[in-house]
Amino acid sequence: MSKIIENLYYSKNDEWLKDEGNNIMVIGITDYAQDQLGDIVYVEEIKNGTKVSKGDVLTTVESVKAVSDVYSPISGEIVEVNQKVINEPSTLNQDPYGEGWFAKIKMSKPDEIKELMTSSEYNDFRKE
Amino acid sequence: MRYIPSTKEQQEEMLKAIGVTSFEQLIDSIPDSVKLKRKLNIPSALSEFELDDKISMISQKNVNFQKFKPLVGAGAYRHFIPEAQKALLQRQEFWTCYTPYQPELSQGTLQSMFEYQSYIARLTKMEVVVPSIFDGASASAEAILMSLRLTHKNKIIVSTLIHPHYLETIKTYLAPHNIIIEEISSENGLTSLEKLKQSIDNDTACILVQSPNFFGGIESIKTFSEIAHQKDILLIQVITESMSLGLLKSPGDMGADIVVGNTQSFGLELDFGGPHNAFLATRKKYIRQIPGRIAGETTDKNGKRCFVMTFRAREQDIRREKATSNICTNHNLNVIASNIYLSLMGTEGLYQYSLLNAKKAHYFEKKLLETGKFVTKYKYPYFNEFLITYKGKDMERLKKVLIDNGFVPPLLIQKFYSDTPLQNTLLFAITEIFSRNELDSICNLLSQ
Amino acid sequence: MKLIFEKSIPGRVSFSLPDDLFEDIKIEDILPADFIEKDKKNLSEVSEVDVVRHFTKLSKYNYGVDDGLYPLGSCTMKYNPRINEKMAALNNFTKAHPFAPTELVQGSLEVMFELNKLLCEITGMDQFTMAPASGAHGELTGILIMRKYFLDQGQNRHKILIPDSAHGTNPASAAMGAFDVVEIKSNENGTVDIDALSKAMDEQTVGLMLTNPNTVGLYDEGIEQIEKIIHGKGGLLYYDGANLNASLGILRPGDTGFDIVHLNLHKTFSTPHGGGGPGSGVIGVKSNLIPYLPTPLVDFNPENNMYIFKEAGTKSIGMIRSFWGNFSVLVKTLCWILSLGPEHLYQASRNSIINANYVLTKLKDYYKPAYDRFCGHECTLTGREYKKYGIKTLQIAKRLMDYGYHPPTIYFPHFEPYADETIMIEPPESEGKEILDSFINVMIKISQEAKENPEILNSAPHVTPVSQTDDVLAVKQAILTYDDEIKNNDKLNYSDENINF
Repeated sequence: MSKIIENLYYSKNDEWLKDEGNNIMVIGITDYAQDQLGDIVYVEEIKNGTKVSKGDVLTTVESVKAVSDVYSPISGEIVEVNQKVINEPSTLNQDPYGEGWFAKIKMSKPDEIKELMTSSEYNDFRKE
Repeated sequence: MRYIPSTKEQQEEMLKAIGVTSFEQLIDSIPDSVKLKRKLNIPSALSEFELDDKISMISQKNVNFQKFKPLVGAGAYRHFIPEAQKALLQRQEFWTCYTPYQPELSQGTLQSMFEYQSYIARLTKMEVVVPSIFDGASASAEAILMSLRLTHKNKIIVSTLIHPHYLETIKTYLAPHNIIIEEISSENGLTSLEKLKQSIDNDTACILVQSPNFFGGIESIKTFSEIAHQKDILLIQVITESMSLGLLKSPGDMGADIVVGNTQSFGLELDFGGPHNAFLATRKKYIRQIPGRIAGETTDKNGKRCFVMTFRAREQDIRREKATSNICTNHNLNVIASNIYLSLMGTEGLYQYSLLNAKKAHYFEKKLLETGKFVTKYKYPYFNEFLITYKGKDMERLKKVLIDNGFVPPLLIQKFYSDTPLQNTLLFAITEIFSRNELDSICNLLSQ
Repeated sequence: MKLIFEKSIPGRVSFSLPDDLFEDIKIEDILPADFIEKDKKNLSEVSEVDVVRHFTKLSKYNYGVDDGLYPLGSCTMKYNPRINEKMAALNNFTKAHPFAPTELVQGSLEVMFELNKLLCEITGMDQFTMAPASGAHGELTGILIMRKYFLDQGQNRHKILIPDSAHGTNPASAAMGAFDVVEIKSNENGTVDIDALSKAMDEQTVGLMLTNPNTVGLYDEGIEQIEKIIHGKGGLLYYDGANLNASLGILRPGDTGFDIVHLNLHKTFSTPHGGGGPGSGVIGVKSNLIPYLPTPLVDFNPENNMYIFKEAGTKSIGMIRSFWGNFSVLVKTLCWILSLGPEHLYQASRNSIINANYVLTKLKDYYKPAYDRFCGHECTLTGREYKKYGIKTLQIAKRLMDYGYHPPTIYFPHFEPYADETIMIEPPESEGKEILDSFINVMIKISQEAKENPEILNSAPHVTPVSQTDDVLAVKQAILTYDDEIKNNDKLNYSDENINF
């Protein structure tokens, strides 16, 4: 059973979002996602300052047997990038909800939060 | 039939076990309208000795090529292949097996790939080597596609002195992609640096130049790379005569970003044009954009060193339409063939043979000029292939004299460069297989 | 096993030189110094004896078709006849230069011309090009032909339909042709969903790429409807011939509506796999597409009884490789077809279908099939029920190695909900019944081991030189050459005594 944390938002593409206040959301991938991928060996560079729209590819995550695009679940501007996951991709496997965050995005359309799932909705969505 | 072991009785037993009374029930799902209702209209099966006779007779309609040495290269070079290599390649474990997806059953193939990658890396002074793409032409096209992915630009610059088949193939591969292809013409047998400088701009992804080029000339790769790197353009060097790597400066030292090499000269037969093989070598920073398969070193659960196919996430079976290339089956046996060849040549052997190639070709050119019937068209440094113009009028007679005496004639360069002042100009290639006597008697023939 | 570099001893030679080294020609006179490498490039220094022993030993770490059953699905690992090897190795063929004047290579041209005739008859197509070097290369060629065909008609078709069951090369090739891939779902019978196909096909779509039987080994009965839908909107039907071994002498793709066909000569036609090639992916087309084939083609001039190269016209897609084709592979194919004749070509397919259904029948109670119906020349089973014992399908495959078998294809094809944890078994016609019986017994034994002794599967294989290679480490350390290894020596996590397997 994969881990789901309450008080986070979730997307259908297995991303989690944490509200940091000030319209800034921290983005990562869920425990289910990292488990599906297997040992992650590579994360593509994310450029700080990039403007993204909801659904744009944020980065690409590569394991031995798969490559996955990580989509931005919201629109906005990337204000901070977590170099740790770029330099040590295994962080995503070890701590997907903590040290394994990708980027912080300042939302340009805060209404988009309404389209995201709560932790219990994501739990149902991913129930096997 | 000797390739189909199960007897009639065994087949009946199997049908019974399956639970059908006839084979036709197994192919019930095929609509009747498409099933063949007649025998295929092809010749009845030949016995093995009849087949041997028939195919041998067809082969006799070729001239005796063992005897007929080629004075032409143009992308395919006849070199001597040591017998030990051929004997080793007979081992069925090397050639009846499949792609090494199961490393525990394929260490022979995988270690050979790794050793070969190591050899090519040293010969080219590049860091990452894809050991097998079908040939130099498709590998050149893949190199260009790779440079387009890396730079996100949409113009490429190609020298007109690359192998004409390679240029054709590049155009075919690029046709769907809205890419501007600018061709740089030559001056005195080498790619024009002036024209190159005028062509490059901020939209250029790569420059593709062959060295030694199609005329045999050695290009100034260092100068090309300096020009390219001023504008963040990738320099791709193409090599059709890999034997040149035994003597000439390594592409990596001269600033090439991607090197594509036709390795038919490393122990592969001419085979009327294929199958040959090509490597694509580049820098480690580009590894995620390389096409094709690559072997890497790892350990197994007991800590033993072993080899596996690696960086697979780029490949078609995982990435499908987002793969760096569609390559699946490549020319892997030719990797093993070249690996064995290079092991048999070794450091000293490859150097000595390279040297012989260069010396014999230059000796032959000198002797041709001494006949008075030939004149140098362009003076440029070359390895084992050069252009020379025939002063006589009768090209047909020259060709006939050579054929009558057991030589495949050199290439008439106008076959590919018809709109240039290159009438009566021939492209000769001389490898180590010619003795001094032979070269002297060829000149004798041509001086009459 | 030690690398050739680790066996190098300075001064050892494995080559020979003639007496006359052309010392009269000085290298500094013929080549500028800055074109020549100062130091010799360091390869290896071993004797011929060392090389022979090295590669002899290396070969023993491989498993070939001659060693036993190689039941990889859609790979058609059949026997590679030795007479075919001898014919392809004839000097007049191997030493023929591709630019030799055509009057000197009439034999080589005859091989290509005759092979074309035979392949056309076998497949029901009108003309083949021998240029493509592999199946995927053939797919690219076919896709470029489709693209040019529609451009010529002034039609801008940018989409292509590909079943979700398709081999990965299909969408990859389509992408190289700059087409947008539209995936068509399979129905509960494992074949193309006709409704989905009908909805997806329109006048912006070039057509459909189809393997038939498909990659789960099932013949798509909807082929007549599929043909109508695709041709109905002016599209083209492309046949991926990887599974032709189920159809020789039974049906011809050209008769079932396909416009373009690629064949894998290294699968159906018995030419060796070579550890990953060389093969050949020749392309056959219907007459309306002949002008688009790559150049040149081989033709016969009856006026002087000579074979010639015929340059293709302006509609040709151009060249897709240098020279004319993988010639030695073509010779072997010609030999195989002439050795079998019409009767045995049919028997080849017939036996491959019987073999696959026999294995399916005997194993279906132990490995639930993806689809409960007769299969073609390969069957798709699944290893799903062993998950509850903690066994992944991968470990079933690895345990097979302990019994002396090369595993079947695993995890491909993968499209849920039926084709999941797949084990795809193709026992070609060159496998006799007793081989199948032994394999079946071993598979049953392994299924019991999975329940009673899962640890022996999870630690498999045990008898191979290496076991359970660390694929993650391979990517992480990225040691791709011996020089990489030397650079990383202090970071490598194995000691000297562990090096030799």
